[in-house]
Amino acid sequence: MSDLDRAIEQLRACRLIPESQVRELCYKARELLIEEGNVVSVDAPVTICGDIHGQFHDLMELFRVGGDVPDTNYLFMGDFVDRGFYSLESFLLLLCLKVRYPDRITLIRGNHESRQITTVYGFYDECIRKYGSANVWRYCCEVFDYLALGAIVLGASSELEPTSSTVNDTAQSNLAIADSELETEVLDSRGHVTMSTYRPRQRSSSDASTDSRNISPPRDISAAPGQVAAPSRSGAPGTGASSDGNGSAVTSRTGAVLCVHGGLSPLIDSVDKIRLIDRKQEVPHEGAMCDLLWSDPDEIEGWGLSPRGAGFLFGGDIVKQFNHLNGLSLVARAHQLVMEGYKEMFDGGIVTVWSAPNYCYRCGNVAAILELGEDASGGGTVARSNGEFGRSNGISGDNRVVSPGRRYRVFEAAAQDTRGMPAKKPVADYFL
Amino acid sequence: MASIPNLNSLRQGRGRGRGLGFGNVSRPGKDQVVQGTDNDASVSRLSAVELGYLDDPYATALTPPGSATRRLPIINRGTYVRTTTIDQLVTRFLGPWSPNKQRKQIISLGAGSDTRVFRLLSSRQTPDFIYHELDFAVNTTAKIRAIRSAPELQRVLGIDSPVSGEGSPVTVSEAGDALQSPSYHVHPVDLRSLPTHSNPAAALPGVETGLPTLLISECCLVYLSPIEAQKVVSFFTEGLFGQIAPGSDGDALGHTGGAPLGLILYEPIRPNDAFGEVMVSNLAARGIQLQTLHKYASLEAQRTRFREQGFGDGQAAGDIEFIWKNWVTEEEKGRVAGLEMLDEMEEWELLARHYCIAWGWRDQAHISAFAGWKDLEAQKGG
Repeated sequence: MSDLDRAIEQLRACRLIPESQVRELCYKARELLIEEGNVVSVDAPVTICGDIHGQFHDLMELFRVGGDVPDTNYLFMGDFVDRGFYSLESFLLLLCLKVRYPDRITLIRGNHESRQITTVYGFYDECIRKYGSANVWRYCCEVFDYLALGAIVLGASSELEPTSSTVNDTAQSNLAIADSELETEVLDSRGHVTMSTYRPRQRSSSDASTDSRNISPPRDISAAPGQVAAPSRSGAPGTGASSDGNGSAVTSRTGAVLCVHGGLSPLIDSVDKIRLIDRKQEVPHEGAMCDLLWSDPDEIEGWGLSPRGAGFLFGGDIVKQFNHLNGLSLVARAHQLVMEGYKEMFDGGIVTVWSAPNYCYRCGNVAAILELGEDASGGGTVARSNGEFGRSNGISGDNRVVSPGRRYRVFEAAAQDTRGMPAKKPVADYFL
Repeated sequence: MASIPNLNSLRQGRGRGRGLGFGNVSRPGKDQVVQGTDNDASVSRLSAVELGYLDDPYATALTPPGSATRRLPIINRGTYVRTTTIDQLVTRFLGPWSPNKQRKQIISLGAGSDTRVFRLLSSRQTPDFIYHELDFAVNTTAKIRAIRSAPELQRVLGIDSPVSGEGSPVTVSEAGDALQSPSYHVHPVDLRSLPTHSNPAAALPGVETGLPTLLISECCLVYLSPIEAQKVVSFFTEGLFGQIAPGSDGDALGHTGGAPLGLILYEPIRPNDAFGEVMVSNLAARGIQLQTLHKYASLEAQRTRFREQGFGDGQAAGDIEFIWKNWVTEEEKGRVAGLEMLDEMEEWELLARHYCIAWGWRDQAHISAFAGWKDLEAQKGG
């Protein structure tokens, strides 16, 4: 067993590794991350995760629900640290997994992966408490500076494969829907389907519509994919490239998915612009890089000031336009607590995924992860690369951008007795 | 900060008498937890002060030495809203300072290490109010000890020599748990014992029953059982301030004739949603029971509570999120938001929706002591 495997085993048991090993790990991680572009290309199938915030035992629950690494490909959209009691264990485990299985796990930067924020929100204090000095905090912050700013998921299937898990009554009744595609499915942590939405098979260019069958309490899914007008060019989604006419006939109809921690920026109108940022620095207070990590979608027109004091608010029109111009079908982001674990907005053009259940051991929310399946037609496969991926690899033979099938697995906080929380919690949790 | 009753003696089903008072301490560990929450609030206040949310020159003196800790931004903002909202209600009750005005009176229930009296005393030319703090002896003793070791607190009380010295306007009981002065009284008392007094006035020496009076419960009554909390409020509305004030009669509006009386509550609400349920169970894990929380679970329940407890002239409430949005000016919001980067908007709203300020009052026909409260914006609905 290699040192790395041993470290993974130890961290999985929520036990820290020695400082010297952290230093070595961070060095290796940096070497790896430095090769990644600002926007990493990731092939479906992939499971997209939102904020973790040091809730180590809930991260273990996430792996239980979503499958273990390397069996499942993961994309974590940042905010690994701060707030929870186990930022170190959580982040170091993810980093170990990244170094061990670089093609199986993608980490992008959240606004908490920053020197300034971690000194306020707990990670710095945790490092001092657990290692006795700021060294480990410094090693980790240097890794933060190299994390990618976003990811593009390619080759996701527009259609969901039926759930392999328990088929309950509801799922059976779904079979009655002829000639339709399962588009969204929500499963609880035991794998039971709690909600499904369908859209008719798109044989022609007729507008897609959604047949939504709510089984559990209604959620904010009114996704009517396909309403987004198709881009007029045919380059690989997210690249802004034009078609090189390679004539690939059988290709994915599914648009690419942009993953970013916060959201869009008024300074960024194309994915390519993200690639131009010099990211290897502390998160600035303003500018494109800051916005990507700080912004939030909101029910407004255009852009608005963010109450967070950094980033912007952006409306549905902005998302629609950005997706259209970049051949995207969906923006997946994290950054905002959602009580139901995930929330789709703007006709399914953007989704918030939140993966820290009972956030801060106080909020009472459930968490979710988003699974995007692999396009069974096989046309959309692009070799994963850590840098700029092949731009001539046009994969869209159809002008239509269809949103990918989305499977949300919703889960609750790990059981109290396994969470190993300190018995005495910080008393300022509430006002007394 | 509220004092928290000894929870061992409050807890049901443990074979202990309830309401036996503070002497019934059988588990010192538990007691320390309770004491810790008082320190905790003063630490939160100091954090908000040091970061510029609040201006409070007395925060340091009334926080245990060496316990200063930087709180998270949402906690600081919550401390800010809670403090400034009650300040505003108090200021509007006292009205602008002017000589020869009738004095007013404030009674703070479970005052703990609160600094408000010192801030008020130093902000008004001469005291035009009498301020009473009620708390368990262990808390009043700690506070008096703090006053004795802090010249800046003594100066506010008008003493340059040590407390209780010759000619000092301030006297402290032999046990060091009670303080008397012309404008400031500290009473070591278990609130639950008040309703049992046959002579209400004797229970709280120095309280003037003819003065327009404001009661403040900052997270205090919520720890009592609903019956106890109700009785404590009735002790004031019917017992201490129930008598007909000289020269006044009941009037057509049903005013009892007792002195004008108001009550400000700051308490958690909404225990029945996901956040509320976690709050209840987290606090229970620490041995803290918010006993009236389910009875007064909503803003509407709080308003009804005021109506039913004799505050017939006005009942209003707002959760902390509403008050932050509607009471704090845009300019001030900008200032506060600029103090720290608040990366927790959803969490802030969640937390802030689970605390409320509620206020209600009864006036007299010819004295409108609470006129200043009438145009405050309150939240509608539950």
